[in-house]
Amino acid sequence: MRFTISREKLQEGLAAVSPAVPSKTTLPVLANLLVQTTDRGIRISGTDLDIAVSTEVAAEIDTPGAITIPARKLSEIARELPAAPVKLSSSGDQRVTLECGRSKFKLLGLPKSEFPSFPAIQFDKAVRIPSGELQKLIHHTSFAASTEESRPILNGVLWEIRSDLMRMVATNGHRLAKMEVPVKGGKQTDLIIPPKALEQIRRLFPAEEELEVAQGENHLGFRSPFTSVYTRLIEGPYPGYDQVIPKDNDKVALLDKAAFISALKRMSVVASDQTHRIRLSFNAGMLKFAVSTPDLGEAQDELPIRYTGDPIEIGFNAAYLLEILRYLPTDEVRMTFRAPERASTVEPEGWTDPSKYLTLLMPLRLVD
Amino acid sequence: MSAPRIAVLPGAVADQIAAGEVIERPASVVKELVENALDAGATAIHVDVMEGGRALIRVSDDGSGMDAVNAPVAIARHATSKIRAAADLVGVASYGFRGEALPAIASVSRLAIETAPAHGAGTRVVVHAGAPAVVTEAARRQGTTVTVESLFANAPARQRFLKGARAEWRAIIDALTIVALIRRDVRLTVTHDGKEQLALPTASGLRERVGALWGHTVAERLVAVDDVAGPIRVAGLVERPADVGTASRRVFLSVNGRAIRDAGIVRAAEAAYRSAIPSGVRPSLLLDITLPVADVDVNVHPAKTEVRFADRWTLERAVERAVRRALGTEDAEASLGARSWWQAPAATPAPLGREVEPSALIETPAPTPLFAQSDDAPTPVDGEPEIVVPPLVQLRRTFLMFERDDAVVLIDQHSAHERVLYERFLGEFERGDAASQALLFPLTLHLSPAEAEAFEQAAAFIRGVGYQVESFGGSALLVHAVPTPHPRFDAERCLRETLAALTGDRAAASHGKHERLIATMACKAAIKAGEALRVDEMNALFVALARTTLPAHDVHGRATVVQLGWDEIERRFGRR
Ligand SMILES: Nc1ncnc2c1ncn2[C@@H]1O[C@H](COP(=O)(O)OP(=O)(O)OP(=O)(O)O)[C@@H](O)[C@H]1O
Ligand SMILES: [Mg+2]
Repeated sequence: MRFTISREKLQEGLAAVSPAVPSKTTLPVLANLLVQTTDRGIRISGTDLDIAVSTEVAAEIDTPGAITIPARKLSEIARELPAAPVKLSSSGDQRVTLECGRSKFKLLGLPKSEFPSFPAIQFDKAVRIPSGELQKLIHHTSFAASTEESRPILNGVLWEIRSDLMRMVATNGHRLAKMEVPVKGGKQTDLIIPPKALEQIRRLFPAEEELEVAQGENHLGFRSPFTSVYTRLIEGPYPGYDQVIPKDNDKVALLDKAAFISALKRMSVVASDQTHRIRLSFNAGMLKFAVSTPDLGEAQDELPIRYTGDPIEIGFNAAYLLEILRYLPTDEVRMTFRAPERASTVEPEGWTDPSKYLTLLMPLRLVD
Repeated sequence: MSAPRIAVLPGAVADQIAAGEVIERPASVVKELVENALDAGATAIHVDVMEGGRALIRVSDDGSGMDAVNAPVAIARHATSKIRAAADLVGVASYGFRGEALPAIASVSRLAIETAPAHGAGTRVVVHAGAPAVVTEAARRQGTTVTVESLFANAPARQRFLKGARAEWRAIIDALTIVALIRRDVRLTVTHDGKEQLALPTASGLRERVGALWGHTVAERLVAVDDVAGPIRVAGLVERPADVGTASRRVFLSVNGRAIRDAGIVRAAEAAYRSAIPSGVRPSLLLDITLPVADVDVNVHPAKTEVRFADRWTLERAVERAVRRALGTEDAEASLGARSWWQAPAATPAPLGREVEPSALIETPAPTPLFAQSDDAPTPVDGEPEIVVPPLVQLRRTFLMFERDDAVVLIDQHSAHERVLYERFLGEFERGDAASQALLFPLTLHLSPAEAEAFEQAAAFIRGVGYQVESFGGSALLVHAVPTPHPRFDAERCLRETLAALTGDRAAASHGKHERLIATMACKAAIKAGEALRVDEMNALFVALARTTLPAHDVHGRATVVQLGWDEIERRFGRR
């Protein structure tokens, strides 16, 4: 194999793929990137076995071929190279030579045959999806997925594709985020995706691109003209989130998001490190905050709000609430309640976007 | 029948009755005589005992002695050189002050006093069973020798209550041990039936005296206590939690230099061990308490082993705190030194401290957003002493290791986390304010009959730590809300494992010993050995552990922190 590539194209390809390379691995070849020649240039691929990323960049091919090269070393070298074309060649299964200007490097790679093959996914039946809409879904929901290992299913983000919409749902059992965007989707499909893969997708595909998404046996592939991402799917079924979304919350508060956030942050200063417990009392016209943490102190605050319904006093993990508010796209937010032990909802208020966004938060028990 | 005549008892009878209070057995005689010697300023005391004290008790001292005028007066009732008026009783500094002991002893024995205020001219006073004294001259060196023979020979009722010579000797040695512990500055030698039993040179401190009494291994294993709370100072030695129950228990308390017995203080000291030792065993405690003389009343009982305190509550809290602090320090574990295991020595240049993200491990997932900046996470305020976390390394996914200038320190991650959670759960349980996060999808647990029974027994405490549980006909539980002690916490598994553990531990559940139940729960909730920890988690655990009251021990009383001194390591490498 032998090819010439511009320093910038090499750096671009490495920047896209390197994040998929695991920092620690028991399988040595996973620390390497697979570099193969194609009709248009070279394809660089990396994987941690759960997620695989691959991207194609332009290059001048002299001799076609493929080899794996230590990812970290190659990236470090590429970063330091002078501004000159880079010649890369391999001899035999393992030897790699890189020349650029007067610099010359010899690296030890591993044969291509040792690199895991990518999941077999047929893109001919792929669904075409606007990348921007997908990114919006990911951004607003995947933060809510669980990081705890006891229920692997909640470690994933549910992605529902319907003929006229796409929906993503994520929850850790304490709070939930759900968003749907109207798109011409495809046939009804439910997928559960690791957030780590969604992160790569969000990072790699520009918003204006159109993506092809196709499903293999237990993998999912995303493809744009130059880049593809493959991920393992988490096996379902996902818990019935629809039943737990309250439909009869009869108390409604409208709050100024910025003021609400700053009050919550003030209260958090004296909230417990572990539970961030705060107490909120909603009354007509006024929201009262109270925190009391043994060994630390107490705090109170007030915020004028618009409120309808009987007064309610309810406890929350302030960190959860702050986190949700960070993703709400509007200046005003709408919270609804039924009872202090029931789920409350937090939604954008006055959002002109055609998307629907709902977050849900389970309360913390209050003691009197 | 005619009315009984009221009569004044002859002095000898009154003395005999009074003697019953002070002089119950040979050991009481020894105690009184030795205290007199100490009051006379003796620096060396020699005690000879024959046949458990019934045949002979002789106490010789090198104290001030008495002159020919005072020696006979010593055996008169309420004759004392130590106080003059009742007001002097407040804060009395001598051991004796009632002027009762010698007359009481004289009334039930053959008593001989040989004494000299200076070398040469001495006096000998002999009294037989309360009869008038015979006074003669006797030359001797400065000091006093009091000899008591035929104890209780004229008091058959009392004699009948005496135990065998061995038992009486035990009691004597116990009394002498107390003296030895109080007055480390005095040389004490003791023989029984002609054989040397104790030979204690003057000691510079309690640990040295304990070494001379019970051996140096015993002495070295005790942890030093030294704490001052307001006007109260508590010092001494207590047993390491890990050793409690392995050797005979020794308890010694002194208040302002006077040995006392006080169940309340012992209880307070033991409370400091709470959860660090298995239930049912009790620690050895040797504590010297110093407090303003006006706050103690020593004249409660003639034997003077009980005292009254003006403010018992404050005193007991001071004792508990002192012991707790001692156990929380490193020397409860390994090497000696009063500083906490986590504190860098003052001499070291500031270690490569790290910013600690307290959310790891001890907080509910301070949401790490996948894609957004997390810069608006609230910064916690910190009123406590700053804990600088040294660079930590995880070994075998089990231990956290760091270096200090004097040692390599290892922390058992599970034990440490268990200790952290135990104190947290216990606090929440006792305050009744456990946090309980409601669940979107309630958990269902199916229980075996034994587990269902364990649940019934322990339901109150399970709820008390934050589980909201509904029971369905005993065999199924519906969990609506759970505690959230740390991000890796698996509420379902913790509840399951706790119930499983309780089925094997009926006593824990049925006796409502919430501490034990909570210890079980903390054990199940804690991270386990074998879990890889991130740096921020290790740091957070380090800080949380340093803030516990007993960081050096887990809830089973095992070590949480172990240190390998550099001396030891250097020795192994032949560098020393
Ligand atoms: N070993 C001694 N050396 C010098 N003086 C002594 C000695 N033993 C007794 N005395 C003198 O005899 C007095 C009487 O002793 P006794 O033990 O009866 O009374 P106390 O020590 O004053 O009070 P208590 O009855 O509380 O012991 C003492 O006050 C002291 O003056
Ligand atoms: Mg006396």
